[in-house]
Amino acid sequence: MDEQTALLKTQLYAACEEACSGDPDRLFTQEDLTALDVIPPKDIKKLLQLIQILTNERLFAPVHLHSGLAWRLRPEAEAAKYKQLTSHDQVLVYEIIDAAGAEGAWQQDIKRRLNVQDNALRKALKELEAKRLVAQFTTVENISKKMWIKANIKPSSRATGGPWYTDQFLDEAFIEALQSVVMSFIKNRGSYLSKGERSARSVSPVLPKKGVINGAASEAAVKSKKRTADAISKDEALVMPAAKHRKTIRLPLPAGYIEYPTTEEITAGIQAAEVAKGQPLKQEHVQELIDVLVWDNRVEEIRMGNRIGYRAVRIAKQNPSLYSKPGDDDFWEPRSNGLTSVPCGKCPVFDLCEEGGPVWAGGCEYFDQWLA
Amino acid sequence: MLVTRNAADLCALLVNELYGQLPSVCFSPASPPVAALLARGRSNVRDLALHTSLNPKQVRHGLALVIQHNLVFYQTDHETATTTYEANPQASYHLVRVGKILDVIDRKYGTMAKNLVNDLLMLGHVEVAELVRYHRLKHSPKKAKMNGEQNHDHDHNAEFEDEDENGLEYGDPSDPFDDDSHYVNGNGIAHETTEDVTPIQANEVYDTLAQLIAAGVIESVVATMFQSPQDLKASVEQECMKEFPNGVRGAKVTTEFDTMVKSQIKAIGVERATMKRKLQESALYEPSNIKRRKLANGGMSNGFAGDSGGSILRDEPNTVVRLNFDKCLVELRNQKLTEHVEDFVGETTAQVFAALLASLCKKVYRCQHDQHTIMTEEEEETYFTGVRVTSEEIFDHLSPGVDVSTGIGSASEEDIDIRFAEKIRKYPPQIQGSHLQGTLDEGDEVLGSDDEDYDHSGEHLKGTYVNGHNGYHNSAAQNGTKLGGDHSGEGHSSRAEQLRQMRQHLLILAEAKQQFVRHCGQNEWTVDFGPLIQQLRYVELDTMIEDNFGRQGLRLTRILREKGKLDDKTLPAMALMRKPDVHVKMAEMEMAGFLEVQEVPRDNNRAANRTMFFWFFDEARTLKRVLDNAYKSMVRCLERLEVERYNKRNVLLTADRKDVQGKEEEKLRGDIYNEYLEFIEVEKKLLSQVSRLDDLVSVFQDF
Repeated sequence: MDEQTALLKTQLYAACEEACSGDPDRLFTQEDLTALDVIPPKDIKKLLQLIQILTNERLFAPVHLHSGLAWRLRPEAEAAKYKQLTSHDQVLVYEIIDAAGAEGAWQQDIKRRLNVQDNALRKALKELEAKRLVAQFTTVENISKKMWIKANIKPSSRATGGPWYTDQFLDEAFIEALQSVVMSFIKNRGSYLSKGERSARSVSPVLPKKGVINGAASEAAVKSKKRTADAISKDEALVMPAAKHRKTIRLPLPAGYIEYPTTEEITAGIQAAEVAKGQPLKQEHVQELIDVLVWDNRVEEIRMGNRIGYRAVRIAKQNPSLYSKPGDDDFWEPRSNGLTSVPCGKCPVFDLCEEGGPVWAGGCEYFDQWLA
Repeated sequence: MLVTRNAADLCALLVNELYGQLPSVCFSPASPPVAALLARGRSNVRDLALHTSLNPKQVRHGLALVIQHNLVFYQTDHETATTTYEANPQASYHLVRVGKILDVIDRKYGTMAKNLVNDLLMLGHVEVAELVRYHRLKHSPKKAKMNGEQNHDHDHNAEFEDEDENGLEYGDPSDPFDDDSHYVNGNGIAHETTEDVTPIQANEVYDTLAQLIAAGVIESVVATMFQSPQDLKASVEQECMKEFPNGVRGAKVTTEFDTMVKSQIKAIGVERATMKRKLQESALYEPSNIKRRKLANGGMSNGFAGDSGGSILRDEPNTVVRLNFDKCLVELRNQKLTEHVEDFVGETTAQVFAALLASLCKKVYRCQHDQHTIMTEEEEETYFTGVRVTSEEIFDHLSPGVDVSTGIGSASEEDIDIRFAEKIRKYPPQIQGSHLQGTLDEGDEVLGSDDEDYDHSGEHLKGTYVNGHNGYHNSAAQNGTKLGGDHSGEGHSSRAEQLRQMRQHLLILAEAKQQFVRHCGQNEWTVDFGPLIQQLRYVELDTMIEDNFGRQGLRLTRILREKGKLDDKTLPAMALMRKPDVHVKMAEMEMAGFLEVQEVPRDNNRAANRTMFFWFFDEARTLKRVLDNAYKSMVRCLERLEVERYNKRNVLLTADRKDVQGKEEEKLRGDIYNEYLEFIEVEKKLLSQVSRLDDLVSVFQDF
C-alpha cells in the first residue's frame, strides 16, 4: 500500500464518518462512495482497492441488499476488537454476532450459517466470551433459545419485551395496574359525574324498559356496585322505590366535545402521576394499553377533527368510581342476553342434547338447578 | 329464514303451544301438518296424511286451522286440480312474538287496540264486521256465550267445508292468550283487560280498527297472500306468458316481459294497500291526531268529531283483515333499539330516540326486503330515497313527561366544537364487518370533501340558549355554568329551549360509535337501520363471548376481527397476555366454535413444528351458529315446559276445571295450590327465557 493509497483510505473513511454522523446505521453504496469526492472520479479500480483495504481492516462491513452490495461503517474501536480474535472460527462467529446487532444471534442460526461443528462453534463462543466480546442472553419470544449478543450493547426492546416484561416474564400485575390508571384517566376526562342530588323526575312511566331504570334497585346493581358507606347502613332501603336514592352515575358529554383525552395526554398524565417510575413509558406503550382497552370493549375511539380521543363505552353504566380494578365491577349492570342466562348458553354438552339422546331437556340437571 | 332442523322443531312446537292447545283441536291437530311440511317441503294432502299418520279428514281440518292463521301457503294447480301446501316458517316463528307484539301495541295504541289484535290472533284472518262483533262479545262486561257463532266463508278456501266449525272453535272463551297472560309479555307483567262498565261501542271499535289499518299494523287480506311469494311470482309470470305466444326470446321481448311482470306485481301491491290508503287519506288518522288523542290519556273512548275512518270501514264490512307481522316487527325493532340506546348512552337520550323512531317509522313498513317482497308504491318510494324527519316532528312525538335537560353532562363552551357536533353526513355508512374503524374513516371522508358542511341551525339556537341561560344564572346561581347537565330546570323552559336540548341528545346519538342516528341534512335526521343492526349483532356476540370466555377472550376475538388472520406469535404481543394463557383461551374458543384455525405448512413434511397456525374469526359462520343455538335453546325450553306440564298434570287438570278457573286460590286445596303456583313460576321462567332468546334471534335475523 503506497502512501497515496493510505492517505486516500483515511480520507475516505473520514468522509464516510462525517456523512453518517447523523445516522450511524447509514449504508454506503458504490455511488454514495464516489459521490463523496475523495477519490478521483471514474477511477473504479482505486475505489475497489480502497474498499478492499477498508473491509480487510474491518472498518467497512459489507451488507447485501436487493439492489447490490453496500457497506456500513464500523467505528475504529469496534474494528480494533477484531484484532483480538485469534482463530478463523472466532472471526466468523463474531462477524455474525456483530451483524445481528441488538437483536442478537441464535446459536443454532450461527451454526447453520457457518456450517461448522458444534464443538468448534462452542469453543469459539467460549473464547469470545472469555475475551468479553460477546455475552449470552435470553429473549422473551423464546426463552429456551440460546442467544448471543455483543457484550457492549443491550438487547433490543423486542428481545426484552419492552416495559411489559420484568426478567423475561410478562408483568401482568403491572399491566393491569396501568390499565386501571388509563381507564380512570379516560373516565375522568371524558364524562360528567352526576352526583344524583336531583330526584329522577325524568323517568317517564311510558318508558320501554327492561325493567330497570335507576339501576340501584336492579339485582345486578345490588350485587356488583360498590356501595357507599351510607348505602350499607340502610340496606333495607333497597326495596324502596328506586327513584328515592338514585346513585351517582356518569353522564355522557355533549356532542362535539373536543377535550376527550388523546394518547399524548394520557401518556403525560401517567408520567405526571408517577405511577411507573422505574419504567419510563413511551407513547407507543400507552397506545398499546389503550388498544387493549378498546379491544376489551371498555373504551372507544372518538374522532375530534384530525385528533383521536378516547372515551369510556356505556358511560352511564360504568362504575362511577374512578379507581376500580379491571375485572368484574367495571359496569354496574353487565350486558346480558338470552344465551348468557339460559343454562343452554353455557352447557358443556349442548351439542349432544336432543330428544331421546343421552342428554335431553326433560332430564337436564342444569335446568333443574336453574328452575329450582 | 333459513330453516335448520332446530328452527323447524321450534316452529312446530310453537304452533302446538299456541293453537294445539285449543280444547277442540285435540281432534284436529294443527302442528303435525306444519311439522311434516317443514320437514318434507311442499306436499299435498295425501302425502301429508301418509307422513303424519292421520286420516285425510284430520289433515284437512288441521290445514284449515293453520291456513286460517297463514302458517301455511297453498297453491292450486289449475290443470291437475291438486293443491299443494308449503310451510310458512316465518309466520310460525312469529308466534313466539305475540306477547311482545301485544305489549307494544298496548303501549302505542291503547288497550282496545291490544284487545283487537289479540282477537285477530285468535281468529286468524277475519272480516271486519265479524271481528267487531267478536270483540264486543268477548270484551263486554257480561260474557255472552257464543253459541251458534258463525264464521263467514272465505272464498279463497272454500275447499274446506268445515270452516264454520272452525269459527266455533275460535269462539271458545278460554283462549290461550288470556290463559297465559304471563306469556303475553315475557317480563311477567300480567295484562288485565280493563273492563269498561259501559258496553263497548261499535263505533269505537271501528275507529280503533281503522287507526290500526292506517298505521299498517293490521292489513286487509287478498287472495294472493295465501301463496308463497315465489309461487306468486311464478304464477304472475305464467299469466304474462300468455301474452307472448311466441315465447320470450331476445333482449327486447325479455325487457317487455319483465316490465309486464313487474307492473303486475306492483298492481298486487296496490291492491293490498287500497284500504290502508283510503284510511290514511282521511285526515283524522294523521299521526299528530293520534298522538293528541293519546295524550288525552287513553281517551279512545272520548268521542271525536268526524270519525270518517270508522265509517269507511263500516261501509265495507266484508273486508278481510289480519295482523301484519312485518309492521309489528318494525315496532319491536324500535323498542329493541331504544333499549340499546338506553344501555349505551342513557335513559333520557333513549326516550328522545324512541320519539325519533316513532316519527320515522310511520313510513317504514318492514324491516327487511328481499327480491320477493311486494312493495306498495309509497313503500317503494321511501325504500329508495330513505325516510327522514325534522327535529320539530321528533319533538312532537316526544312524551311531555321527558325532561330533556337531563342525561347529558356539562362542559364549558370552549370545549365544544359545534362543527364536529353538527356535522352532516349525507350518505349512509357502508356495512363493513365489525370493526369500527370503518365508520370513522367514512366520517373523515365526508369531512374532507366538504369541510364546512355542518348544521348552522345549532349555532343559531345556541345564541338563543345563551340568553336564556343567563336568565337562569341569575335566578339559580348554584347551578353554575352548566350545559343542560344537572341544573334543575326551575320553571318551564320554553319550547325552543327544550327543542335545543332535545337536539343535543340527537347529536350525541349521531356522534356515538354505533351511529344510532344520522344527521342527514339541515335539522333532518334519519336512521340507517341496516348498518345499525349489524353493529348490534356484534354487540350481542361480544356479550356472549365476554360472558363465556371473559374479558380476555373478548379481547382476542376482537383483535382477530379487526386484524384478520394472525399467527401464534403476534397475538400475545398485541393482547399483552402471556403466551400460554393465549393458547389456552384460543383452544377453548376454538372448541366452542367461535374461532377457527388455519394450518399453513412451511415445507412438504407438514410437521407440526414446521407449520404456521393462523387464527381467525369467521363472522358469518359464527353468527349462523349462534342463531341456530338460540333456536335450539328455545326448543329445549319449550320441551322442558312440556315435561314440567306432564309432571304436574294432575294439578293442572284440576286447575283447568271450569269451576276452578279464575279463582284457583279459593277452590284449590292448599298444597295443590302451592304446587300450582310453583308450576306457574317455572312456566313463567321458561317462557320469559324463550322470549329473551327471541330477542336475540330478532337481532340476528329479523330486524
